Amino acid sequence: MGVPHDLEFFVDPSRCIGCQACVQACSECNTHKGHSMIHLEFVDRANSVQTVPVVCMHCEQPTCAEVCPADAIKRTEDGVVQSARKPRCIACGNCVIACPFGVPEVHLAEQVMMKCDMCYDRMSVGKKPMCATVCPSQALFFGTRAEIIALRPRSTPMSTFRFGEQTIKTRVSVMMPRASASPQHLDVTAAMDDRTRGRSLKLAVVQDGRSDDTVDTDDPFAAVQV
Amino acid sequence: MTDRTQAILWGLVTTASLAALIVVGSRSLAHFDAALVSYTFASLFATFGITYRYTMWLRRPPTQMYWRRGWQVFASPRHLGRNLLQLLRRFFLEFAANRFIFRRGGLRGLTHWLLMWGTLVAGAITFPLVFGWIHFETVPGHLDTYRAYFFGVSAGTFPIESAIGFIAFHGLVWASFLVLGGVMLAFRRRMVDHGAAALQQFGEDILPLLLLGAISITGLMLTVSYSWMKAYAYDFLAILHAITVIFTLLWLPFGKFFHIFQRPAQLGVGFYKEAGERGEQARCARCEQPYAPLPMVRDLTIVEQQLGFTYEMPRHAAGHYQRVCPKCRRALFGLAQGAAWSGARS
Amino acid sequence: MAIIPVDDLAITRRFGPHLSKNTAVRLSTSVSPEKLVKTHCCFCGQQCGIQLKVKDNEVIGFEPWEEFPFNRGMLCPKGVKRYLQGSHPDRLLTAFRRDARDPSGFSPMGYDEAIAKVGAEIKRIQAAHGDDAIGVLGGASLTTEKTYLLGKFARLALHTKYIDYNGRLCMVSAGAANKKAFGIDRTTNPWADMIGTEVIWVAGSNVAECSPITTNYIWQARELGCKVIVQDPRITPIARTCDLFLPIKPGRDAALFAGVLQIMIEHDWIDRAFIEAHTVGFEQVAEHCKQWTLAKTAEVTGVPARSIAKAAELWGNAKSSFFLHARGIEHHSNGVQNALGTINLVLASGRIGKPTSGYGTIVGQANGQGGREHGQKCDQLPGWRDISNPEHRKYVASVWGVDEKEIPGPGVDAYEMFRKIDAGEIKGLISICFNPKISLPDNAFITRALEKLEFYVAIDFFLNDTARHADVVLPGSLQEEDEGTVTQVEGRVIKIAKAVECPGEARPDWRILQDLAQTVGRPKGFTFESPRAIFEELRLASKGGVADYSGITYEKIEAQMGVFWPCPSHDPQTGAPTPEHPGTPRLFEAGSYNPIAKGAGPFYFPDGKARFNVADYRAPIDDACDEFPLYLTTGRVVSQFLSGTQTRRIGPLVEQYPSPRIELHPRLAEKLGIADGDWTICETKRGAMTLEAMVVTTIRPDTVFVPYHWAGEKSANRLTVAAQDPISKIPQYKVCGCRVRKADGPPAYASVLEAQQ
Repeated sequence: MGVPHDLEFFVDPSRCIGCQACVQACSECNTHKGHSMIHLEFVDRANSVQTVPVVCMHCEQPTCAEVCPADAIKRTEDGVVQSARKPRCIACGNCVIACPFGVPEVHLAEQVMMKCDMCYDRMSVGKKPMCATVCPSQALFFGTRAEIIALRPRSTPMSTFRFGEQTIKTRVSVMMPRASASPQHLDVTAAMDDRTRGRSLKLAVVQDGRSDDTVDTDDPFAAVQV
Repeated sequence: MTDRTQAILWGLVTTASLAALIVVGSRSLAHFDAALVSYTFASLFATFGITYRYTMWLRRPPTQMYWRRGWQVFASPRHLGRNLLQLLRRFFLEFAANRFIFRRGGLRGLTHWLLMWGTLVAGAITFPLVFGWIHFETVPGHLDTYRAYFFGVSAGTFPIESAIGFIAFHGLVWASFLVLGGVMLAFRRRMVDHGAAALQQFGEDILPLLLLGAISITGLMLTVSYSWMKAYAYDFLAILHAITVIFTLLWLPFGKFFHIFQRPAQLGVGFYKEAGERGEQARCARCEQPYAPLPMVRDLTIVEQQLGFTYEMPRHAAGHYQRVCPKCRRALFGLAQGAAWSGARS
Repeated sequence: MAIIPVDDLAITRRFGPHLSKNTAVRLSTSVSPEKLVKTHCCFCGQQCGIQLKVKDNEVIGFEPWEEFPFNRGMLCPKGVKRYLQGSHPDRLLTAFRRDARDPSGFSPMGYDEAIAKVGAEIKRIQAAHGDDAIGVLGGASLTTEKTYLLGKFARLALHTKYIDYNGRLCMVSAGAANKKAFGIDRTTNPWADMIGTEVIWVAGSNVAECSPITTNYIWQARELGCKVIVQDPRITPIARTCDLFLPIKPGRDAALFAGVLQIMIEHDWIDRAFIEAHTVGFEQVAEHCKQWTLAKTAEVTGVPARSIAKAAELWGNAKSSFFLHARGIEHHSNGVQNALGTINLVLASGRIGKPTSGYGTIVGQANGQGGREHGQKCDQLPGWRDISNPEHRKYVASVWGVDEKEIPGPGVDAYEMFRKIDAGEIKGLISICFNPKISLPDNAFITRALEKLEFYVAIDFFLNDTARHADVVLPGSLQEEDEGTVTQVEGRVIKIAKAVECPGEARPDWRILQDLAQTVGRPKGFTFESPRAIFEELRLASKGGVADYSGITYEKIEAQMGVFWPCPSHDPQTGAPTPEHPGTPRLFEAGSYNPIAKGAGPFYFPDGKARFNVADYRAPIDDACDEFPLYLTTGRVVSQFLSGTQTRRIGPLVEQYPSPRIELHPRLAEKLGIADGDWTICETKRGAMTLEAMVVTTIRPDTVFVPYHWAGEKSANRLTVAAQDPISKIPQYKVCGCRVRKADGPPAYASVLEAQQ
């Protein structure tokens, strides 16, 4: 038994509060107990508390699998890209640096790559992935498309990404603003020169499509004397 | 020449070579046991299949890259000595002792170690016998002494009723015990471990264990039959045993056992990585931190291009997404999504 | 004299904190639990539902409990790893006595011997110095049953008036303000009421780290169009993307609220009909606010004028709203005034007691709500009754079967108790669930006071930092080793289930209290056989009080997954039994009846009207000055809890944030020549500490932040000021003047102690 097709994973990094409940919970899963497969990054802690949780996006055409010299990474029929098959994986690390989302990890001592497998062990007994179940901000959400659309009327799931000239389609979706003139994809590499900001004014866009409604600025402490 | 044609040719070459060796080794089939002919044909088929698959595997761009680089690095004159030493060390630690598997868990290590050595010992005994490469003759005048021949050349004598004799003639029995121990441990894990239970597939994980178990049990039953039961049902058991072995041989190129041939690539990768660590490191185009050996990044970029990926970034100084480290890739994912919400880009 | 028996480090070596890791059976992927126990997290006041996996009397893991309505499976990292507090190498498995000859400073002793020893010492001290020479300190992480029993124990078994609890450092400002304004002290609405509201104002609450599950309620409200206002000196995760951020200078909250109310009054963004019909005292407040012009408010609070104006506009024009606050505005010598300021904003808006409009304080401890209702506070009897009120005393005396005169009068707050210890008035101390040596401000004073005790007994499951001073340590129970109820942030009474038995000679805390009552010769009223039996008496004792639990049963809690108090057993109007009373999720609904107002109105005063209170701004005590020019503020990190007695023993949580760091703004850091990671000295009038710097733009440049979960030289409360609110007696943890400089090198402790020690 695998992952029911109507159940999907949705990620909204803008909700993330960096609490690491997902990281702590991930290491409780049976296929990789003691190791956490989810990444939680501070984008730039010196300048912001912005964090981003990164799970495997489960690409339709996984770069990690294609660049694997050992042919060790397989995508199941239900669309889950699994951790490397242990008998084959030779821990070369191609997948680690090739994955466009930066997901896989190599454990050198054990000579094996491990990555988020959408909690295959939990899914196969009808449970939801651990990280999405515990996530206190629901930056990680697991459920049906109908559920998330009903819950988040201002958001829309997006599962096409651009990295340079490359388009990647994934089984996992990221939540994008529904109101804005929605592009066909999320251009990840367009953020190459972005820097994170202390304040990110989210709802101004969502509610009226303009950001001049806000009174405070990027640096709310600008006027504070030292 | 297409990949497939090349693979077929290589398959034919190795199969023909094996056939030739059988003819030579058995002194023009003089020592070849006709009863074992089905085993021989299964072995020949397996040889073709394994070679075909191995060749196809090597044709994949990433594999090809690693194959080439692995040999280049290994044979580089400056490091050959050290590499040979490393090779020896790794051969014993990682392969003979299965250190990396023991690190995944003591019982898992033991399981694999038993399975591996049981299978290797059995193979080392069976194939030469089947191919007629080894045979025994009683020494004329000394009916209690055997002379062993290898490729038709005498390789020494030993008394039949000796410890050596006992050990040698029951080698498959010992191998069966090793394999059965491993099979039982493996089945135990597959039954009780929740993680394994979730991921396992019949073809990949259960069938190989069933086959190894079946070969061992039917083999042991043969021994029991002729040792203690006056060869009761011996013929039937012999056919049963042959079926299990032949099925395994035929299945060798397709299933999990193929990793036996694939796994040595780990050694090549090890040399490549060591060379990479010694050399220049690639620095991330975004955070400027080193994240991987520069040659590995270059090679991977080529591989990605060969595979048809277009991670080129012509409008950015980085030039290619492969120049961005995994940590920055994750950060970019957050930044890009955040930017969409803050209206920075629309 | 309760002096630490041997070197602190020697005690640490034996008793920890050491780290638990998940190894062996808890790391195995092939072990199946015998049972899944539906219970709650042992840490913060949200009390998330969780299922504990149990095998062989050991908690081996957890499984989310998705049916529990408050958190629906969600957990923070503390909840996820809470199971690792069990089967811990530091666990106290026997009683211990101070023993300077033992290398660790303590030697084990038999449980009965320990109880007898404690009894003898109590009797000796009371015979020599009077009943009030013994003090009792409780805690708000105990179950309500235990807090009830502890209050009864102090009054009836010890005959002492000196009992107080660590909710004094937590909930009392909000509680006092609530009582003054509403006549009842509880969050008004369940959190689900936030969904659909127009504005949420979060004042002084780092929701993301201190009450993470609340985040999802706020985000969900926002998905439906809610605007979020956050008031904080730091850009916390919830502040990063909020719609309006009010970067307030620490300790200026009452001024901000007055200034905002003034703008609302000027623009008539207030609900005059509601004010007229349901409140008293608006005119005085309006008069008071006149001085808080926009310019003055901006000047005092450090919040830009246009942000203040925008806040007033958003809050004033909303049709539904939620106001949430926490320790950020309450931990002040002006804490009650700050909380009253928020309530004035709420009452002026008229948005309370409605399905999408409410007000609440986010409680900190597991039983921050229930623990403050049933008599472990110095001035309180069960059911939020007043120990000075003759009628209340009479009722409780009748439940307890004693003469009213036997119940002592009001005592003093927890900090004042230490002053009385210091003055020699209190000679003996019993503490449970309280670690004042870390958690009280100016804790060098606390150490000095502890050293003056003639006898000190601590009840705990680990040897906490204060218990190192104890003459006798009694081995108490972990949360999962006992059953009982707690009341979480929303006012929902929930059931803690017992998952495992106490190990070794450890005992459920209520049994220890009863054994002590026995040994001092006053067993009457302390012969309960189970927490359920205690709860039954508590129901009766709370009956007719404001916090009426009389209609709540364990069965009802389990069937409904929680019951909101008040839940009377009898209709207060007709006196008819109400066994089906579902509880009261939402307070102050139009037409609602309560036993104080008796139908006159929704609020808990005889006239049924809420009270506006003039919420005066007073500058903090020990404010920043020339010598100490910066503001020091303290708080939590998400992976640690309170004084860290539990969380500093859980390996994965320690890894997440191992040691305290001092947060400062790069502009300040540059001026001081400090770089990220540099060892930095923070100094106040009480003392100094050396910590690694964390240079971030997410804090006011005139403010530094230190989290408070660590002990000894890493304890933030070495620095804080023991100034207290005159009404609530809450300490002013959230602001004091400090100065910061770069240290010459690492402090001595850095090479000796592990991160968590």
